[in-house]
Amino acid sequence: MSAITEKQHPGFYAIIVMLVLMAVGPIVLMFVNSFKLDVDIISGTSGLFFLPTIQNYETALCDVLPYEIEHLDFCSLKFGGAFINSLIIALVSTALTLVIGCMAAYALVRFKFMGRDTVSGSTLMVRMVPPAVLLVPVFGLWNNEFCISKASWFGSWVREEFGGRGDLCLAGTHSGIILIYVAMNLPFVIWILQSFIVQVPRQLEEAARMDGAGPFQVFFKVVLPLIKPGLAAAAIFTFRIAWNEYLLASALSDRDTKTVPILIVNNMSEFNVEWGVIMATGMLLAIPPIIFTLFASRQIITGMTAGAVKG
Amino acid sequence: MSTATFNRLTPYIFLAPALIIMALALLYPLGYMVFGSFRDWDPSQSLGESTYVGFANYITLWSDPSFRESVGVTLKFAVSVVCIEMVLGVGLALLLDRKLRGMSILRTLFILPMMIAPVVVGLVWRYMYHPTVGIFNNSLKSVGLESVDWLGQHALVSIIIADVWQWTPFIFILSLAALQSLPRSALEAARIDGATGWQQIVHIKIPLMMPVLIVTGLLRLIDAFKVLEVILVMTEGGPGLSTEILALRISRTATEFRELGVAAAMSNYLLMILLLVTIIMLVYNRIQEYRAARAIRAIEEEL
Amino acid sequence: MKITKSLRWAATASMVAASALSTGLAVAGPYDDYAGTTLVVNFPAHPHYDAVRKILPEFTKETGIEVEVDQLPYLKMRERQTLELGQDEGDYDLVAYVVFSKADYVYADQLENLARYFMNPKLSDPSYDADDLIDGYVYNIGFAGGNKGYLQGKTGSLFGIPYGSETSVLGYRKDIFEKHDLKVPETYDELLELACKIPELEPGMGGLSSRAASGHHAAHAFLLHLAPLGGRVFDDSWNPTVNNAAGVQAANALKTIVDCGPEGAASFGFGEALGSFLSGDTAMFLDTTVVAGQIDDPSKSKVVGKVGWAMHPMGTRRGSQTGGFGIGIPKNAENKDAAFLLMQWLTSKKGDKLVALAGGNPSRFSTHQDADVNAKFPHMKIFGEALEHADPDWRPIIPVWGKINADLGTTLSKVLTEDLDIQEALDGVASRAKVIMDEAGYYTWSQ
Repeated sequence: MSAITEKQHPGFYAIIVMLVLMAVGPIVLMFVNSFKLDVDIISGTSGLFFLPTIQNYETALCDVLPYEIEHLDFCSLKFGGAFINSLIIALVSTALTLVIGCMAAYALVRFKFMGRDTVSGSTLMVRMVPPAVLLVPVFGLWNNEFCISKASWFGSWVREEFGGRGDLCLAGTHSGIILIYVAMNLPFVIWILQSFIVQVPRQLEEAARMDGAGPFQVFFKVVLPLIKPGLAAAAIFTFRIAWNEYLLASALSDRDTKTVPILIVNNMSEFNVEWGVIMATGMLLAIPPIIFTLFASRQIITGMTAGAVKG
Repeated sequence: MSTATFNRLTPYIFLAPALIIMALALLYPLGYMVFGSFRDWDPSQSLGESTYVGFANYITLWSDPSFRESVGVTLKFAVSVVCIEMVLGVGLALLLDRKLRGMSILRTLFILPMMIAPVVVGLVWRYMYHPTVGIFNNSLKSVGLESVDWLGQHALVSIIIADVWQWTPFIFILSLAALQSLPRSALEAARIDGATGWQQIVHIKIPLMMPVLIVTGLLRLIDAFKVLEVILVMTEGGPGLSTEILALRISRTATEFRELGVAAAMSNYLLMILLLVTIIMLVYNRIQEYRAARAIRAIEEEL
Repeated sequence: MKITKSLRWAATASMVAASALSTGLAVAGPYDDYAGTTLVVNFPAHPHYDAVRKILPEFTKETGIEVEVDQLPYLKMRERQTLELGQDEGDYDLVAYVVFSKADYVYADQLENLARYFMNPKLSDPSYDADDLIDGYVYNIGFAGGNKGYLQGKTGSLFGIPYGSETSVLGYRKDIFEKHDLKVPETYDELLELACKIPELEPGMGGLSSRAASGHHAAHAFLLHLAPLGGRVFDDSWNPTVNNAAGVQAANALKTIVDCGPEGAASFGFGEALGSFLSGDTAMFLDTTVVAGQIDDPSKSKVVGKVGWAMHPMGTRRGSQTGGFGIGIPKNAENKDAAFLLMQWLTSKKGDKLVALAGGNPSRFSTHQDADVNAKFPHMKIFGEALEHADPDWRPIIPVWGKINADLGTTLSKVLTEDLDIQEALDGVASRAKVIMDEAGYYTWSQ
């Protein structure tokens, strides 16, 4: 970006300020409210004059805090556990999607083989499927069909080691959710990475091949390092989806594998709308994406524009 | 295995994990669902245990007024949202396409809404729209105006606004990128010829950006059908069915009413609509490629 | 005499030793075999169950049985339960079920019939006093197979015990009523008149805040008015009568209430309706007794100490709702005996009193009359009186009710927000309900 900046009309700056307020405002509102007591939020005292309290965060994190919380009779929000579940699921999904997607994208770009166009076209088609549509069959399959009977040798071993009851089904396990997330994200990741791999000059690969490198070595040593920005963008997008997703996670999780979005929605009970705690949990969920945005905005934008804008 | 065979098999090896996972967790479920839409199916049964009912689910849905209303709401929502976001996004891009100090900070701030979890977006907006506690009504009351029943009477408008807030940045970023990759020569030429800013926009910038804009618009349209969590948290589809978009109705039919067969049939209807949009997009892409190839060939022939 | 003395000493000593031994043996209590078990229970996110969680440590202390609670919003809880109960081996040892799930679960044979637990001398506590349990609740929530399939009757049996049950009661702002010299309404006519008069007397204030949001909420609110006004959803042959004169009257009552209610009333769920009353925006509240605890909590309510309670107004008869939750043992549970012990403890006189003191809903008449409870919650006495008119048949508990309820709720919401004609709307509900009932086989015997 050139260092020359032009002088602008003051009205222009006013518009910019307004836009920024609109974009960031709700998030700031949530942040501020998470430090207020419910009474203050309900009475709508104007944002700035109040006594900040960390009570809401204490209530949310009650199962990981080392000290006793006086204002709570019992710890109902198991946020710590949910946070760990979310983290495991998001990280593993992202890692798997990247590795598998990268390899597939490379194959689609570099190798001419039978059915290449169909695969490419179908990844685009799969992208259009809404998660709600997947909900119905996944709900049925993960609970009833993708199961290992507890009578089989593997099933009975798992049951003896880890406890639990009934057949070993994918539903209610971390792997079940990870599997569907990886499958959902692969099309998009493959699509993004394809446009990056296309830009890697063939000559480099051919040079390496002539030096005697096998295809795997070419892939790992030559191509991968060159598409780092694409990998970063794909990683951020996959993590974001896995971290934020609610619908499939809520259908496929049981009480031990609840993720944070599920906890937040469950907390909006009709009897006791505790706005402060809700804002605090919302804030906690939003922190990783916000951190990503602040530190990796360039990668995100590259990822978004890849493929859409043919440079 | 000789290196030659290995090399020939390499693409398949590279492709295998992805294909296996997508087949297992995407294609098989989709097929299962299409199969399941012809049956009367309950969540506690596996497909084999359910009874065959032929096209009954489809016919019931076709004549079900709630389903029709849901489709109407979905279409209204998707079209409004895409139109508004395109206009705003492109407008903002045109406005902000200048050399500004701190442009990258601005861009960072603008993409924040997109990265926040839809659940949280729904949450914050539900708070803001709340009739007594929410900030919109509080501000209206403090200037003496009447408060508005956002999530009651104007529920659809309210969720459209929330979605516009979340996704306009997407269009904005893409349009900006497109704008900034336009050939400067054409713009310079126009300016030298004395075209005003407005004429530049209408006759040069927008036509050149068209391919990107159309792809973006179609992408956004496909995504608009997927919106669910925001609406779920804000209105749960109410009041009545006025904000029950198809995705939400499908999930309710499956989990609340426990009629998986009907939900599967509904999913198929939704997929058919989406398929139409995707095909349009693919066809459009093909046409673009064809035109580009033809232009290149024309230039080559001239030389 | 020396011998007699030492003999007596020996005799006393051995008697003391023997009694000590036998007391030791007798102290081997009913919970010993189960100490160390962990029960997994499924509860809804509901003020009563929040109170239950406060008293669970007491149970663990007394019996050595740990309890792990999975608390979910109650619609989610239902979905979860339906899934879990259908498996071969379930996760939950005790479930709190929503009252209209009673029909589904019993019909699908997923709940344990409690008869054999009460017959088991090792498990059943002779001082339980089941007659003290509130009749309306027991028959509405726990009993199945009786008259009409879901009411009291000679053919029925107990599958669950009411816990967290509620009836409806009228709460009103004593200060507003005193200020304008208003009489506490006892009939529906008086109630409706007041509901619209109050906004005129106190600008900005709603008359009665009620649930009205689409779906379950609107249906619930409608049914609250249907029974006292003499209506019923079905007649004895299962023909829908929801669109008869009483039904139209009830719908009109609801519309009047919502129109004269606070801002945004047409989209109120239960939480918003309560919130409106708690923040002082409405003068009356006609809904469940559950809210009493929150009304007197200064961190949530701005109307502490200003609220009086009266019985649900009378139409052609008195009939307040019966609803809430019951607890039952799933057929696929792992620790059924220990679960029964928990169930018994929670609903015993002692457990019921503890939960009432912690802010929950008592299931026994005696708890409502108890001095300690009344000292802490003076409204309990009126609630106790209201319970005598609790109507177990205010809402049919049949497996297809969910669908009919959803349709009723959505239609009523349209009446409230889109001004649909009431008779037309109810006629629509009745005809659709008839189709559903026909498909489910309810007209098999009347053909």
